[in-house]
Amino acid sequence: MKFGRRAFLQIAAGAVGGSLLSPLPWQLAGDSARWSQNWSWRPSPERGEITKVPSICTMCEGGCGIQARLVNGNRAILVEGNPANPVTEGGICPLGAAGLQFLYAPYRISRPLKQTKGRGNISGFQPITWDEALAELGKKLAIVRGESKAHTVACITSGRQSSMDDLWQQLFSAYGSQNLFKMPTQADGLRSSALLTTGIASPYTFALENATHVLSFGSNLLEGAAAPGRAFAALRQWRQNGNVKLVQVESRCSLTASKADQWLAVEPGAEAAIALSIAHVMIAGNTYDADFVKNNVFGFEDWTDSTGKRRQGFKTLVSSPTYSPEEIAKKAKVDAAAIRALAKDFAAQKNAIAVWNLGHSDLAFNTYDELAFVALNVLKGNIKTGGLVNLTADIPLGALPAVEKDALAENAAQQKRLDLTRDKTAPVPQNGLYGFLDSLAHGSKYPIEVLMVHEANPAYSLMESRLFQAALDKIKMLVSFSSFMDETACLADLVLPNHTALERLDDVKGIPAASFSYYAVSSPILKPLGDTKNTGDAVLALAGKIGGTVASSVPWKTYEEFLKFRVKGLAETQKGAVADKAGIRLTSAEPVKPNFKDGDDLWKKLKAGACWYDAPAEMPSFKTASGKLELACQAIPVAAAADDHMFLPHLFTIKLAGGEQDFPLLLVAHSTGYLTSGYLANPPFMNKLIPDWTLKGNEEFVDVNPQTAQSLGLSQGQSASLRTTQGEATVRVNVTSAARPGVVFLPKGLGHKAYDEYIQNKGTNANSLMEVLLDPVSGMGTVWATRAQLRRV
Amino acid sequence: MNEKKSEASASKALGVVFFLAGFIGALVLGWVVFPNLLYSQKAQPMNFSHVAHADNDCESCHTFRPDGTYTGVPRLDKCKECHETAQGTTEAERILVEEYVEKNREPMWKNYAWQPDNVYFSHAPHKGQGLECIRCHRDVTKEEKLPAYRENLITGYSISTMKMTECEECHAQKGVSNNCEICHK
Amino acid sequence: MSEKGHAQSGVRFGMVIDLDKCSGCGACSVACQAENNISFRPDESEKLRSITWMEIYQLTNGKDYPDFRQAFLPRPCMHCDSPHHSPCTFVCPVNATTRDENNGIVTHIYPRCIGCRYCMVACPYHARDFNWWDPSWPKPMESMLSPEVSTRMRGVVEKCTFCHHRMLKARSKAYVDGSDPNKATYTTACADACPTKAITFGNLQDEKSEVAKLSKDPRAFRILAKLQTEPKVYYLSKQDWIKKLSDNALK
Repeated sequence: MKFGRRAFLQIAAGAVGGSLLSPLPWQLAGDSARWSQNWSWRPSPERGEITKVPSICTMCEGGCGIQARLVNGNRAILVEGNPANPVTEGGICPLGAAGLQFLYAPYRISRPLKQTKGRGNISGFQPITWDEALAELGKKLAIVRGESKAHTVACITSGRQSSMDDLWQQLFSAYGSQNLFKMPTQADGLRSSALLTTGIASPYTFALENATHVLSFGSNLLEGAAAPGRAFAALRQWRQNGNVKLVQVESRCSLTASKADQWLAVEPGAEAAIALSIAHVMIAGNTYDADFVKNNVFGFEDWTDSTGKRRQGFKTLVSSPTYSPEEIAKKAKVDAAAIRALAKDFAAQKNAIAVWNLGHSDLAFNTYDELAFVALNVLKGNIKTGGLVNLTADIPLGALPAVEKDALAENAAQQKRLDLTRDKTAPVPQNGLYGFLDSLAHGSKYPIEVLMVHEANPAYSLMESRLFQAALDKIKMLVSFSSFMDETACLADLVLPNHTALERLDDVKGIPAASFSYYAVSSPILKPLGDTKNTGDAVLALAGKIGGTVASSVPWKTYEEFLKFRVKGLAETQKGAVADKAGIRLTSAEPVKPNFKDGDDLWKKLKAGACWYDAPAEMPSFKTASGKLELACQAIPVAAAADDHMFLPHLFTIKLAGGEQDFPLLLVAHSTGYLTSGYLANPPFMNKLIPDWTLKGNEEFVDVNPQTAQSLGLSQGQSASLRTTQGEATVRVNVTSAARPGVVFLPKGLGHKAYDEYIQNKGTNANSLMEVLLDPVSGMGTVWATRAQLRRV
Repeated sequence: MNEKKSEASASKALGVVFFLAGFIGALVLGWVVFPNLLYSQKAQPMNFSHVAHADNDCESCHTFRPDGTYTGVPRLDKCKECHETAQGTTEAERILVEEYVEKNREPMWKNYAWQPDNVYFSHAPHKGQGLECIRCHRDVTKEEKLPAYRENLITGYSISTMKMTECEECHAQKGVSNNCEICHK
Repeated sequence: MSEKGHAQSGVRFGMVIDLDKCSGCGACSVACQAENNISFRPDESEKLRSITWMEIYQLTNGKDYPDFRQAFLPRPCMHCDSPHHSPCTFVCPVNATTRDENNGIVTHIYPRCIGCRYCMVACPYHARDFNWWDPSWPKPMESMLSPEVSTRMRGVVEKCTFCHHRMLKARSKAYVDGSDPNKATYTTACADACPTKAITFGNLQDEKSEVAKLSKDPRAFRILAKLQTEPKVYYLSKQDWIKKLSDNALK
């Protein structure tokens, strides 16, 4: 028998028949279909019980209530607003909602690192243990102190208000250095103007919630204000009630300007001129609160200084024709009638408030600008107990023990803070970070041995970037406590990584510029992912290694113990109350009844995501020379005031470098809602929000008015070279009528050199192009514009 | 001629034999060999005797959470409530305590009814509509030893993963929505 | 069946977005991305390739400085309620996208999608995005994927689902609580997140619901209403220029 073709076909036919009667082909077909639905390389998220853990967001100054969703208690999948938080009532900002992208960021630092090669060489970082890292820094700090050079140790910490500020302050006092700085925030300006006018160094607060007319001078209310949660809540309330008018005075058609009921477009830097002109109209028309001014204000009328010299008062100064709407209109390039209308409106409204500095970035206004805005609130009689403007009340947390200074600390403390050692120092010095860097960069009185940087990224986020670079060259050792490999950490000699915001125990001391008191404890949503350490704990550990009386000045074993101590002190005052539900009117003048028993009870409630609040405080008695609210600021020494108006709010502009010939345009760096520009880099989720007329590929756009673009021969999307007195960058042009003619606008938050491919090398760091101007009164760095030119390439 | 005829009939018979050989071979392959080839047996981390836990209600381990989700196979925390230390001398008991409880590791149980990620299944509506557990799951009331877990080599699903047709059929019979989002996510 | 070709279910989920309250911050869009495991890539500036269920469009009044004004318009899927079919469900050759007539949600099932993108062409709102690449997450970020929504694969279309997984969860909870699952309501991730409470979500057919009341507000309008797509997403604005733009095609 031959097994031929026929036999084969017969078997095959049988096999086909048999198969069709068996499950094989059907099963195979079905299974391959199912297989095709499941691509094995696609991640399959672990399933399990989903729980919610409440906490407080510490990624910016806002202190919003959040809750995280966890799978099986160990994997965070979502951060959302906490509906029980009385400020946000469940809302959240985009940065908060993207919070997990920092927790799970690829660029996190998971253990201490030591630079073994040259500064800035990433491959030189060697992992070390915490014991080694703390021993190394502790030893260095002990040696420097032993050599009576404690004053050469400096620290830059976050602009956020937390108990870490007090711990650093305590450590530095005991150690013997005054070179402790906070990153600049706009609250610095509110503090400095409060100090000059009230004698109290507590930032002014604004009761946005109680106002019916808000006159905002360039405030980035909707572009991520210093406390976005509260700003958005205020907008919600205004629109809900429908009886609040928002007026924005700004050069750019920002989102706030667009969303405002009225936008007055002015020249950059002319905001205060408008305020002074409004004051002029109000005084001329006698539409100001004369009773309030008469009883509470010094320097409105002409006055006599401490040397007996007769001085001009605010009324005389502002009543001069220089401040008439017609004159100011020329300077600010607006319509004089618009100023008059604004003044009429502002004067007529019972609950009208002038607000400024509600953003989170650098100061745009100089001291005299700020005083002009204060003056408007003075004319409205706002600055009083129960008024729309008040001073930030201290949160009565447990007070830190008095620092026991040993001889080393005493001696070192004789050395002035570095920014105050310069030849020309500010008469009423405030946050001196830029002055500090400036003196280092230009030959300081003494060197800096160690600079510690905590929750900040000064190498990126300080304006006039080359200033930090130049200063860094003079600093022998840079220590970063950053959780991320940011621009500053890259340059560090030693990195002691902090837990990220969602992993650590932290607290929030107040919401910037809020009239009510607010305190919250941020508890970790899960266990730390890496071998990181809460910087609070690291600082306590370091204190023990320095020797002298340093350790006994910070007697807490852990940061948790320290925070508990602070909360216990708060509980003992029996002031304020815990708010754990929405719908509480925080700005109500009604006294708040405490609803907690003792420290343990309050701690438990705060740890569970509730917050502590207190009604707006009474206005403290003014600590000025006159005992009144001073429009003529006597804190400014007579010697420093060449002229009468140097005490008063007046037209004042710090001159920009560069001539109009070479740099015919002004560059203004601005905040946007879709780009974070502080310590945190823009997360991938938020990158989707960046419009393609702000970033395309790696190229960033500047906003230019069509008229200006035409005169420069530029059209939409074209590449151009942007040169300022500080630096140069290649940008593309977005032609938009949102931009004022003659002004170029560049968004902040791009141009990172560190981090990962999701943000690195995209666009230009606006900070590197901007010029910092030191304020002649406060010494603080201000950045309002920089001279620039834009050319086709 | 006859020879030829008989040759032809022999070849026809032979043809039938060949055909039958192919036919039966395919049937055996399809019904017996293939199912065994298609599924690999995977071991569970340890044995679990439902009988040994019969003094508890089913709901003490398999229960609804307040948010409407179902616990399904309990996690280690549940086991620990009783088995912090060994409660018996079985091998499974030893494995549970030594390998999982003491090391605080989650046992990776293989779920017999596992559905892929694109499926949304909630027990609550099915229970709410009065379905008995054994309508879809095996009866475990007398089960002392976990059955073998058989995994489809092509799909990676369990052999007892319910097919969409079965879901749809029941939904249709009961007049329940068969719209996509009811069962897919 | 009604004259619109819908089952009479008494449930029609819809959304109202108050553009006067919207600050354009983008929290809705970010919350949506986190909730729905939306993938991201190093370069998100190519907007035709970028996947965003809740897209924030910029509107401008077209005037010169200083009369220029801008506003932002968050755009989820409109879950069109036009008779019998939504534009996308009408064209899908494989029934991967359908409308559930019990609640009005337009669904899209990834394993069924063949990636022909016909629905993307049909959608007048650009609400649909295509997966040009396999979604991938930088290593530790896979940890933040939610098990409540499946991850997609290359070659399929995706879009806003009105967070229908939350609806199913709410129904399950109703079963467990012993209440009527057909009356279960829920909110979407975007509405939850909105810091100005500009987004309201709920049952449009429940006269007492906030969303039903707002949809009848004199400020209410819908985008491209002239196309008769019957979107279930309403917008509120008192600005005439914004209302006028609503009848223009989105760029």
